[in-house]
Amino acid sequence: MIRYEIGIVDTRTVIKTLLDDFGYDFRDYALTSFKRRLEQVILNNGLRDAEGLIMRLKNNPEFIDQFLYEVTPETTEMFRDPSFWRLIRDEVLPEVSRGASSKPRIWLAAFDSGEELYSLAIILKEMNILNNVQIYCNVLSEKTVNKIKSGRLDPKDIEVNEANYQRLNGTNKYSQYYTVDGNIYTFDSSLVENVTFLKQTPLIDNEPGAVKLILFRNQAIYYNQLLQEKMFSKLSEVSVAGGFLALGVKETLENTNANNKFTVFNDNEKLYKRKTV
Amino acid sequence: MFKAVIIGGSAGSFQVITRILHSLPPTFPLPVLLCLHRLKHVRSGFVEALSIKSSIPVIEPNDKEQIRPGKAYLAPANYHMYIELGNKIALSTEDPVNHSRPSIDLSFTTAAQVYREKLIGIILSGANRDGAYGLKKVKDLGGLTIVQDPEECQVRTMTEAALKLTPVDFVYNTNEIIKFLQKIKP
Repeated sequence: MIRYEIGIVDTRTVIKTLLDDFGYDFRDYALTSFKRRLEQVILNNGLRDAEGLIMRLKNNPEFIDQFLYEVTPETTEMFRDPSFWRLIRDEVLPEVSRGASSKPRIWLAAFDSGEELYSLAIILKEMNILNNVQIYCNVLSEKTVNKIKSGRLDPKDIEVNEANYQRLNGTNKYSQYYTVDGNIYTFDSSLVENVTFLKQTPLIDNEPGAVKLILFRNQAIYYNQLLQEKMFSKLSEVSVAGGFLALGVKETLENTNANNKFTVFNDNEKLYKRKTV
Repeated sequence: MFKAVIIGGSAGSFQVITRILHSLPPTFPLPVLLCLHRLKHVRSGFVEALSIKSSIPVIEPNDKEQIRPGKAYLAPANYHMYIELGNKIALSTEDPVNHSRPSIDLSFTTAAQVYREKLIGIILSGANRDGAYGLKKVKDLGGLTIVQDPEECQVRTMTEAALKLTPVDFVYNTNEIIKFLQKIKP
């Protein structure tokens, strides 16, 4: 894997261009992974280096959507951490959907490439409550919205996904949720027809209010600790009392200011519950 | 003079790692970063198994955990483990590299960029080529490189790939690796 490596100075120059020319603030993204994402964008688009990337952004402003699409890591797996999804199905969703006068709100606050959203929708469908909740899904690029709405996901290793679904003990066959034509998998897009997509900046400034379940798995790993703090604090404000917050299994609220706003609901799956006050 | 040791391994490396961790002095002056290929869906059990005989604590770090001397940090299942400026762990769910997540190349490359000539990189037994490029980066940035003697490896693909790509400093068997690490002074 010999490949172009971007230096720290060049990374900062790209970040400055994104902020000055487009208003997208990546300054507090984690440096190592963001550098790697930039290298990926440069490689994907046949650019020579950071300067080439900056020229492309400046000369072709419409390239920004492709940039945002590619700079976001893909989720790469359906039902990642099956034990997490079992917990969501068996303990969290029954409570979230119980006795609500209006549709309870679920917010996919991470920049997912569709796999988390479809995993959630499949579980809701199997529980027969897909239409009883309102799902909001954050997106950074238009291209992601189109991809998700078309059902053309690319969850890589089909055997891993199938095995994850088996471990979840779903009620149906995983294969009934997609059709396959050659190498192209098309998931049943009716699963997401009632989802509200929220176009975001990298700092997630557009929040739905009064959310009962927030999925924010494996997003904070791409932030530095300063931005993690800000985002956790934002999520604690958006969550209703008794609402749930899910982080990635190796992310934690411990040692952050938001820690006293939540109790630990399940430590292995990093599932938290918003305190009443 | 060194600031960290990073060890990569795959098939056939578990017993070697266990022996190394067992033989380190409890006051070992450096952090030990472990990137070992493992089953992606089995999250628990591995760190416990490594801990049993280890003379230093073995941790499966959370994201942005501070790296401290005298502790071993095991890359968690299904995450890449990067070393971030400021001596922190940074995790990632980006695509697998060399069919691997965690990828040894990525852990080694990012560690080399942070610790440069103050890093010791060690590649052990394994069945794919992950780690060869990472060890080359350690060497290129001035670090010290060791490869387990392929004659001793259960599976020699990984060590041979590393040796092919980089003129390493030492080819050692397990006992020699242990002796080398035991001699490291604060």
